[in-house]
Formats: sequence, structure tokens, C-alpha cells
Amino acid sequence: MKNMKKIAALGMTAILGASLLAGCGGSSSEGGDSAKGDSKGKTELTFGIWDENQRPAMEAMAEAYEKANEDVSISIQLTPYKGGEYWTKLEAAAGGGTAPDVFWLNVLHLDAYVEGGILDDMTEVIGASDINDSFAETLVNNYVRDGKNYAVPKDFDTNALWYNKDLFDQAGVAYPTDDMTYDDLVALCTELKDKLPEGVYPFACPVDFQTWYYQTVYANGGWILNEDATETGYGEAATQEGIQCWIDMINAELSPSATTLAETGSDAMFEGEQIAMTLAGSYMVPEYASNETIKDKIDCVEVPTFNGVEDNCINGLGYAVYEGSKNKEAAEAFAIWLGSEEAQKIQGETGVVISAREDAQQYFAKANEQYNLAAYTNHSAEAYPLPVCNKAAELYDMEATWLTKAYTGEMSLADACAGLKEEADALLAK
Amino acid sequence: MAQVKAKMPRKKASPRQKKDWIAAYIFIAPVTLGLLVFYIWPFIQNIWFSFNDVNKFNMSTFVGLENYKELMGDKEVWRALGTTLKYVIVTVPVGIFLSTFLAALLNAKIRGKSIYRTLYFLPSVTMSAAVAMVWKWMYNEKMGILNSAIKSMGGTGHNWLTDSHTALYMIMVVGLWMTVGYNMIILLAGMQGISKTYYEAAAIDGAGAVTQFFKITVPMLTPTVFFVMITSIISGFQVFDTVYMMIGKTNPAYESTQTVVMLFYRAAFDYGYKGYAAAISILIFAIIMFVTVLQMIGQKKWVNYD
Amino acid sequence: MKGKFSTKHLIVHLILLAGVAVVVFPFLWMIFTSFKTTGEAMKIPPTVFPEKFVTDAYKTIVTSAIPFGKVYANTIISTVVTTLVQIVFCSMAGYAFARIEFPFKNAIFVLVLSVLMVPGQIFLLPQYQIVQKLGLLDTIPALFLPNLFSAFGTFLLRQFFMSLPKELEEAAIVDGCGRFRIFGQIMLPLVKPGIVAMSIFTIKFAWNDFMWPLIVNTSMEKMTLGPALSTLQGQYTTEYPMQMAGAVLAVLPLVVMFFLFQKQFIEGVAQSGIKG
Repeated sequence: MKNMKKIAALGMTAILGASLLAGCGGSSSEGGDSAKGDSKGKTELTFGIWDENQRPAMEAMAEAYEKANEDVSISIQLTPYKGGEYWTKLEAAAGGGTAPDVFWLNVLHLDAYVEGGILDDMTEVIGASDINDSFAETLVNNYVRDGKNYAVPKDFDTNALWYNKDLFDQAGVAYPTDDMTYDDLVALCTELKDKLPEGVYPFACPVDFQTWYYQTVYANGGWILNEDATETGYGEAATQEGIQCWIDMINAELSPSATTLAETGSDAMFEGEQIAMTLAGSYMVPEYASNETIKDKIDCVEVPTFNGVEDNCINGLGYAVYEGSKNKEAAEAFAIWLGSEEAQKIQGETGVVISAREDAQQYFAKANEQYNLAAYTNHSAEAYPLPVCNKAAELYDMEATWLTKAYTGEMSLADACAGLKEEADALLAK
Repeated sequence: MAQVKAKMPRKKASPRQKKDWIAAYIFIAPVTLGLLVFYIWPFIQNIWFSFNDVNKFNMSTFVGLENYKELMGDKEVWRALGTTLKYVIVTVPVGIFLSTFLAALLNAKIRGKSIYRTLYFLPSVTMSAAVAMVWKWMYNEKMGILNSAIKSMGGTGHNWLTDSHTALYMIMVVGLWMTVGYNMIILLAGMQGISKTYYEAAAIDGAGAVTQFFKITVPMLTPTVFFVMITSIISGFQVFDTVYMMIGKTNPAYESTQTVVMLFYRAAFDYGYKGYAAAISILIFAIIMFVTVLQMIGQKKWVNYD
Repeated sequence: MKGKFSTKHLIVHLILLAGVAVVVFPFLWMIFTSFKTTGEAMKIPPTVFPEKFVTDAYKTIVTSAIPFGKVYANTIISTVVTTLVQIVFCSMAGYAFARIEFPFKNAIFVLVLSVLMVPGQIFLLPQYQIVQKLGLLDTIPALFLPNLFSAFGTFLLRQFFMSLPKELEEAAIVDGCGRFRIFGQIMLPLVKPGIVAMSIFTIKFAWNDFMWPLIVNTSMEKMTLGPALSTLQGQYTTEYPMQMAGAVLAVLPLVVMFFLFQKQFIEGVAQSGIKG
């Protein structure tokens, strides 16, 4: 009995202690109450983000805003993206009215969130601001559905061709340039191939849509998704040519096999000096720039043109306002301010992402002057946005599975595309 | 015996029995009520979801049996079921064998057994996400230590995780690595719960260690083995973390390693088809329930209570 | 100890040592990698020991915005509360399911077990909603509230209670002992091995719970260790040493605790065995 009592007592103490803690915890952080304002009468806004690398920029912006608007205080909520926790949490919180007032949103999730009715219609406030005049139309329109604006563009990412100068020097081959074509790239790789150390490849072609094949597909006049998202364009010869060009490089052994790249991504291989060149999104720059092994050996140039067409994909994030926010006006005002020159400059100067606003794009390149980062922004106005619809996530997965079969040589690209088109069109028809 | 007693309440209960009932309900109340609120009620909601089309934000339309019809015709589901079954069929017997074997060795009087126990137990205290990452990397064709070791012994190495013939088995190894230690501890606890008098009596009769193991330890251990078996099967049918962490979407072995819970997860969290995901979860539930009930019935043949 | 070391023992040791190699190597790999440079971590062929021993990864983590004291404390509170409450609740229920006959026993037990048979992720959102309704979002109790009730623990302890000899209890019943006394005084001490086994499982589970704290809590001051460390990883990062260092920091306290208390954990189990 003694033991039992002891255990029971411990249990009770634990529960009591917990409920005490619950008491303190609850009072200090109940979204509803605190949102109405604390003793100083401040409006409290919550701001949902997912990237630790960008936290300093977000904090600096929040501080600047608080300074200018003394009646507002902003708290940042960071939830990681990797395992999907950010979205799971956002979706759970949105249902119960506790989602952050302002939060990051990407195009991939936009349609589902618009459908879910959790995004504030910002058409009016955006129309009243200078946003429509200060951002590229593509970027603003990324967040427009049925004529309504749902987010203020935050940043964008494009791609560039990175190379390892050391490996080029050792091979005695001239560095790539901004004005290369796809054929030049193949020629350069072929020249490099036998001059590189054992096991090092000139380039990498993973099964990657945004940074690799969508660019060439679009440059070649191919398409992925039609206007009203009812049909896919995988059956088109132009589409397949834009994909085949990368498979050809694998077959010519200018890139590691798709199998190898499935295990070790191109970024890891580039950082491990196992490939001399790679394509990489602008979001990789901070990581490359902080990698002790390669940071002083690398540089970048523009993505090579394809069929004489500049090709790049553009994607990015926006700041959205939660429809159920208890301080919607204050949240809208903050979101609009996040698109202002001042805010976008603070963000850009950290060098972590390219600010979406035209007059703030330059800061990204300035933050890392050792690299030719203008390669990312030189043609951003001509870059292709990603094809999106409310089934985009599933479509991308389906595409990856089928195209992997073509990349590994399990089936021809034509067969893989035929199978993919059938399955994808059925998905869109659902 | 349990059967006979279970029927007793139908007859008029004695005061003693009534007191027992009240005591029993008090005993089970905290767990049962807690489970009702936090698990069983959500589960009932989930059953309802499976008859609806539910989006990411829980907005639903009733669709009757649509989700189940789709499920039946979904090739991916059947393939995933096959994969999951393969996982269970291999890992459960191998896991039980290994953990019983180790527990038996560590139950003997050998030096340093506490060190062994601690070491064997290490994997079961680790986060599976971190573990999966370590293993993924050890398996890596180019940078992995496994191939590097094989090559140093004159072998050729292999793309273990991207070959659809080997990938699932590699995942099984990680799964076993994570669970054998814990099952070993449970079995060890079970072994140590066996009264020493049985062994003393057997020793007097001249039975050796091996005879003692099969005549005393094994039969007396069956309730614990039964537990390990049921929970291993249940967790085998729900294998998820390791696959999720180790197999990317562009992995050529992707299709051959997708388990039913992977499909469930993708439907619910990646694609936002919560109704369909609910139907998948009901299918998983039905299969596990079926297998468990079979075992509950089958246990009478081999599990030795008391 | 001389002379006791027979061939049989030698074989046993060889088998056990081979097993140890398999079991321990991934850990060593994790630890060694956490002290490598990013470049070395991705070398072909791989190195086992770090050529250049660096602590950059740990420095990055330690100097991050994570309030380590608080986060460790939260993890410990959550783990301890979950474990203690589960011991009490599950042993009570396990005893009743194993040893008392009462109406609807089998039905209720199947209901309890059914919780284990669906993918755990289906509970995530409903539990979030409950915690939200209770006004407990972003609090310490939110971390452990749904975990206090364990079907697994109930089932485990039921099995342990079932394997105890009936005579022990019958004698007490004849003596007129009440159920609560029988449970607390006679039966509970006998399932100590089971309770220990269950605690280990619960500790591991509570310590490593990953998704739930991230969903239900928001502020870093109310986060547990694993999830807190995961926020440091970017969306695209390939920083292996950093990820390994995070894993080491998360697992280390548990391993140390197990080392320190393994006598109490396992030897305690042995001594509590029925001596007949």
C-alpha cells in the first residue's frame, strides 16, 4: 500500500503542478484575450513564418514596424516546413480561429486556401497601396484568383548555374558565362568530362521541375497545364524535348545517374565537390555562401538559354492575412507595409532571399557581392511562373514518379509521358 | 476459463461480484474516459469523415460509399497493402526471434550483462527521424559507410535504397534495429517475472539450461511474447516514419516502398483529401483488427496464462 | 571470476559483441559526423573519425534563439508527468482488465485496443481542437494532455497481471481483502517489471514526441527539445553535421539517464521478480 500511495501522491502532485502551470500558461497566451490588447492597449499581431534563416529579417521588420506604430506589437511564430508541420498547424489553427494574423503563403497552397475561405480578400487595400505599380505583374498575379488579391508578394526565387572554379582550374577549362546556350553547356560538360578527377561529374540532372526541366519545357514552347487546369501537356513533342535534353546529359554520362541523384541531391553533391556545375535556386545562396568547403571557390552565371530563349522559372512567397483575424485591419496594414520599400529593403539586405519589390531586388546581389548574383535577377521579368491548380501537390508527385522511370531508363520518355498524361488528366477531371 | 467467467455476469450477481464490478469500473475509468475523449471520439468522427468528401479545412459533403469505392479500385492502395504485408511478415517473426534470443542470452549469468543491456537498448530511446537520417546516409551508394566497408573487403557495393528490390529490406533492417532492443527489455522483464522455484525444481530433476528454456521459460513467457507479437504486428502495419524519411519522391524505389500509412499520410496532409484518407485509415483499422482478433482467438492454443 | 569463463560463455560473448557492433555503430556515426565539417561529411569515400574535429555545428545550435534551459525543462516535465500518470492509470486499468470479471469487459477492452489500430496521425487535428476548446493552446499541459491515456500501457500491464499466479489473489479474496487493497498491496508490486518496461516506452515516446508539440504549441518557451531543434533546419538545408548534432543533443540526456539508472531500471526488475 505504501508504494501505491507514493505513486498516487506523485501522480497527483504532477497533475496539480501541471494544472498550476496550465493556469499561468493559459492566462499569458490565450490568443483571444491577448489579441484584444494588453494593459498598454496595444494591438497584438501574430506573424507565421517557417524559415529560421529568415527569422532575423522578419524580426528586424517587425521591430521597424513597431517603432513606427507604437500601438502594435508583433510576435513571430516559427513552425518548420520540412515535415509539413507549418501547413498542418495552419490548417488546424484556421479551423478554430487561432491562425496567425499574417502568415507566409506559397503559390502551391494558394488555391486550397482560397477554397477553404481562410484568406482575407486584400484587393482593396492592395489597390490603395503602391503595390500594383512596384512589383512585377507576374508576382502580384501569382496571388490573384477570380480577380481578387490574396497576398502581398514577399520574395521570389529564380535559378542560376553555379560552378566550382577550383575544379575548372584543375581541368584547365574556361569558366561558364552568362550568355551560354544549352548546347554550349553540353559542349562545356563534354570538354570537362575526362579532365575532372575520378568520380567527379561535370553537371547534375536530378528529376527536378522548378530548377531544371520546366525552364526548358517552357522555353521550347511546351506546356504542363492548360489555362483552366483541365488538361496536361505531357503528350506534346515540345514538352518532351524540354525534358529529354536533361536525360540526354545523363545518358552521355555528363551527370550522375538519376539513381545516384535520388539519394544524394545535386546541392549536396555540389557542396561535396562531386560535381563541377549545378543549377540552383536563389534560396540556396545563403547555404552555399556559408559552406566553408566551397564558399570561396564558387560563382554563378545565368541559366543557359534554350533554343535562343531565356529560360528561368520564378516562384515565391506572399504575405497573406487570415480571414478570421480579430485585428484584420491592423493585420492588413502590416501586410501592406511588408510590401513597402522600407520592409523589402530590410529583407533584401540580409541576402537570404530576393525581395519581390522591383526597387528592392538589387539588395540581394549587394549582400553577397563576391558572387555574380545578378544572374538571378537579370531576366526575372521573363521568367515562367510554376503551373498551379488546387491539385498541384499531387500533380507534382505524380510527375516525379513517372519521369523518374524515364530518367532511370526504365521506360522511354514518350511512354512515361503517355502514362503520366493519362493519370494526370484523370486526376484533373476528378 | 476466461470464457466461462465472462458469461457469468448474465446470471444474477452476488454482492461480492457487484462490489467487484464497481471496483473494476473505478479502475478502468481514468484510462477509458481519457481514451474516449482524446482517441475514440476522434476515431468515430473519422468513420464519419470516411463517408464524406472533406477538404483541408474540414468542410465536408456527404458522398456515401464513394471513398470506399475509389479505394477498392485504387491500384496504389493494393500495391501498398502488399508492401505493408511483406514488411509485417518479415519483421515480426525476425524481430520476435532476435529479441527473445537476446533476452535469453542476457537473462543468463554472464559478465557485463548490464552493459550489454544498456547498449542493446540504446536504439529504442532515439528519435526515429534522426535514426532514419543516419541509416539513410550509411546506406548511401557513394558516400555511405556500408558500401565503403563492402568495397574494402573486395565487394562492389550496391544502390541499396534506390533499388526497388532491396529498398524495402533496408527499411526493415532499420525498423528491426529500432524495435528489437525494446522488445528484448519487455521479454527480459517477462523472464524475470518467472518464479525461480520452477527452475530450482527442474534443476533438481536434472534438466539442463536448454531444456529449462524450452520447458519453463518459453511456456511461462507466452503472455509476454503474445504482447510483443500483437504490438509488433500493429506497429508493422503502421510503418511510416522510416519510409517517409528515407525514400524521396524521385527515388526509383518509391513505388515499391509505399506503405498504407504513407498513402494515408499523403492523402490527408499533402493532398488534403481527408475523406479519402479516413477511408484508408478505416481499411488499415479493419485489417489490423481482423488480424488481432484472429490472434486473440488463436492465443488459447498457445498462450499460457497462469 | 577466474575459471568461470567457459567456451560456452565465450561464444555467448562473441554473439553479443557482434550484435553490439551493429547496434552501436549508427550512434557512433551520428556522433562522429556531428564533429565533422560539412565538406568532410560528404566525402567519398567516407571517413569514420573526423579528420578535422570541429564543434561548429554545436556552436550554431547553442548560440541559436532556443532557450535551452526552458526547453529541456519542458521536455522533462512533459516526460515525467506523462510517465507517472500513465503508471497510475494503466496499472489500474490493466489490473481490472486482467483480474476482475465485469459486464462489457471484453467490449471495453477491444475499444481500448482499437485505439492502437488506426494511424496515430488521425488524432492530431481532433486533439488539437479539444485542447483549443479547453483554452490550453500553447501551454505546458498541452504538451502531454492527450498522452496521459495510453492504450499500449494498459495492454502491456494487462499482460503482466495476467501472467501472475491466481492463487496469490484468491487467498487474499478469501481473507476478505477489498479489490483496492489487493491491487495496491499484493498485485502492483509484482508487476514492477511490467511497470518499468512501460515507463521506458513512455519516457522514450514522450521525450521524442515530435509533431504534436509543434502543432499545439507556438512559443519557443513552451516547446520540447526535438521539435525546438527541428526549427533550426531550413527548408532546403543539407547541413548533415548540424542535423546530427541536433540529434545527439536531443538523445543524449535520455541515454545518460538510462546509463545512470539502468541498474534501477533493469536490475530492479530482476529483484522484484517473484521469488516463489
